[in-house]
Amino acid sequence: MTTATTPETGAKQQGRLSDLMQRRPLLVLTAVWIVMILITGAIEPNYLSYGGMRNMILFAAPLGIMAAGQTILMLTGGIDLSVGMIATAAAYVAAFQDAGWIAILLGVAVGALAGSANGVGVGVFKVNPLIMTLAMGTILLGIFSALAQTAFKGSSSPTGFIKAIGTDWAWAVWVLVAIFVIFMLRRTGFGRLLYASGDNPVAVRLSGVRLWQVHISVYALAGVFAAIGGMMLVGRTGAVDLSLAVNFLLPSVAAAVIGGTSIFGGIGTYSGTIMGALILSVLNSLLGFLQVGQAVQNIAYGAIVLGLSWLYASTTGAGRR
Amino acid sequence: MTTVTTRPQEERKTKFQVWRSRHGWTAGVWLLLIVLVAWYAALLPKFGAFQINSILKNSLPLVFLAIGQGVVVIAGGIDLGVGSMMVLANSVAALLMEGQPFAMTLLIGVGIILGLAAMNAVVGWIVSVSGVPDIVVTLATLFIYGGLALLILPGPGGGTSEGMRWMFTGSTSGVGTNFWPPMIVLLLVTVGVAWFMRRTRPGLSLYASGSDLNAAYLSGVNTKKSKVLSYAISGGLAGMAGLAVLALTNVGDPRFALAGQKTLESVAAIVLGGIALTGGVGSIVGVVAAGIIVFFLDLLLVAIGLDSNTSQVVQGVLIVVVMMVAGLLEVRRRRLE
Repeated sequence: MTTATTPETGAKQQGRLSDLMQRRPLLVLTAVWIVMILITGAIEPNYLSYGGMRNMILFAAPLGIMAAGQTILMLTGGIDLSVGMIATAAAYVAAFQDAGWIAILLGVAVGALAGSANGVGVGVFKVNPLIMTLAMGTILLGIFSALAQTAFKGSSSPTGFIKAIGTDWAWAVWVLVAIFVIFMLRRTGFGRLLYASGDNPVAVRLSGVRLWQVHISVYALAGVFAAIGGMMLVGRTGAVDLSLAVNFLLPSVAAAVIGGTSIFGGIGTYSGTIMGALILSVLNSLLGFLQVGQAVQNIAYGAIVLGLSWLYASTTGAGRR
Repeated sequence: MTTVTTRPQEERKTKFQVWRSRHGWTAGVWLLLIVLVAWYAALLPKFGAFQINSILKNSLPLVFLAIGQGVVVIAGGIDLGVGSMMVLANSVAALLMEGQPFAMTLLIGVGIILGLAAMNAVVGWIVSVSGVPDIVVTLATLFIYGGLALLILPGPGGGTSEGMRWMFTGSTSGVGTNFWPPMIVLLLVTVGVAWFMRRTRPGLSLYASGSDLNAAYLSGVNTKKSKVLSYAISGGLAGMAGLAVLALTNVGDPRFALAGQKTLESVAAIVLGGIALTGGVGSIVGVVAAGIIVFFLDLLLVAIGLDSNTSQVVQGVLIVVVMMVAGLLEVRRRRLE
């Protein structure tokens, strides 16, 4: 990051908690997670059971996988506001196939295609990632509103395999994705390139990296993750509609932000995002038990994103300039 | 950026070249609007006061949002919450104004505009003190304002007075041929904001902050105040947009999908209108034409014979294409400099 020089962010007093946050963020996040589980359990004792934990994973797995895409994008300084629609699109395509593997392949292909299109816009044409992905969401919504009345009419029947990855094997899919992402970010040159291109794109470009190729591949990968998340969702619900993954957009950003990934790029880990997804999953159950409705949930998610990014900006001093 | 720097080779330019580099984009956008309207007029069997009224009143909400977005972007930020603020204003107004006399609704309207301006000023303050980027803060407010709207008005409902409807649509029933009231409202807001941005000290300080925050700070501009001011203006204008929507439909609609859509359209409109997302460059006058165009595309695409889903796809693709062209121009300009 650039050095903090302005008086606003420079002279914040560093308390013990913020010190701990800085050095052991995972520890703090795990503590928050456990406390939230206990609070939820106190309100609804049934939550502290095998069924409750299973529900937590069933919600957290697709969210965590979509947030994996969001994390690697935010590392490069990007963001994807079309995750919800890409997930829905992949779910539509996959849910109307008969053969298991073809369904998965087609769904992944949809994600890769839409993601690559995002990447071309951002990497080659230098469109603001926010605008590019918002517009991609609108385009996909239009396409699938039309398709839902023609090609994808009637009730869908996801294959047994899709149902399995949405329910009983959701944890396994998430573990695979997590191993892949963590290995990629820590152990491969591509992973280091992601951190570098978010940290200092000019330096990366001057050292001979073709940034547009990095952008296209990372957006395509994020699209694939969104597609996997979408197929898991339809596997769980069994039916697909246009608002299938709409409520996963802000939580996917929030999970990465809670996990300590900086929207400026260059800072963040996937393990943090995993904790973020788990915390949001508990919060989702908690808000569900309290029966507050979608309105309060939206306000709560918004307030969490705002509050936590404010906290991170002030504790790490990683605010802009 | 380009408006203040004086490069040596610029002195050799003719007057026309200077005018073109300063106002060329704005003039081009207005020309594009005129061409599109002429095309639309040729497609229809009859084009008269009714069509002009329809274009003007229906594009008012987006134009207000785009002007507000434009002010924030010129000042170096971006406000993703404008769409939600419009929906919130629309819901609150519909709830409070139903069955009230005109004077009362006018008072409520002014109250909503000032209230949203104050609320969004707080958002601007948060952006300036927290060090969290504008995009993240306003992505959060997009959901917070949207949630508030749903909380206040759980489903479509409410209404407004006939006078209010006349003010923004030119008729007490919302359908008519009198296009003067919406045009006068549009002109007042445009001229007011454009004059403020170009001719007053606080307005120019917005350009300065957006162009180079550090340089503006070092030359004595209160950059924190600029940020708060720009967000207050976008809040107030989003409030007006909400009232205009209510006047059009006579019903409050808290749907969240609308908020995201309108936010996207407002950003598309300012980019088409010649405002650089990097801040400090562009004019409000161009944004007005661009806002009308972005709404107008919908009418035009339907007039050509596309259904609404296809027209949504085409509109999205067009927005992306405009952004891509703007991006390429920006890359080319940077290479030249």
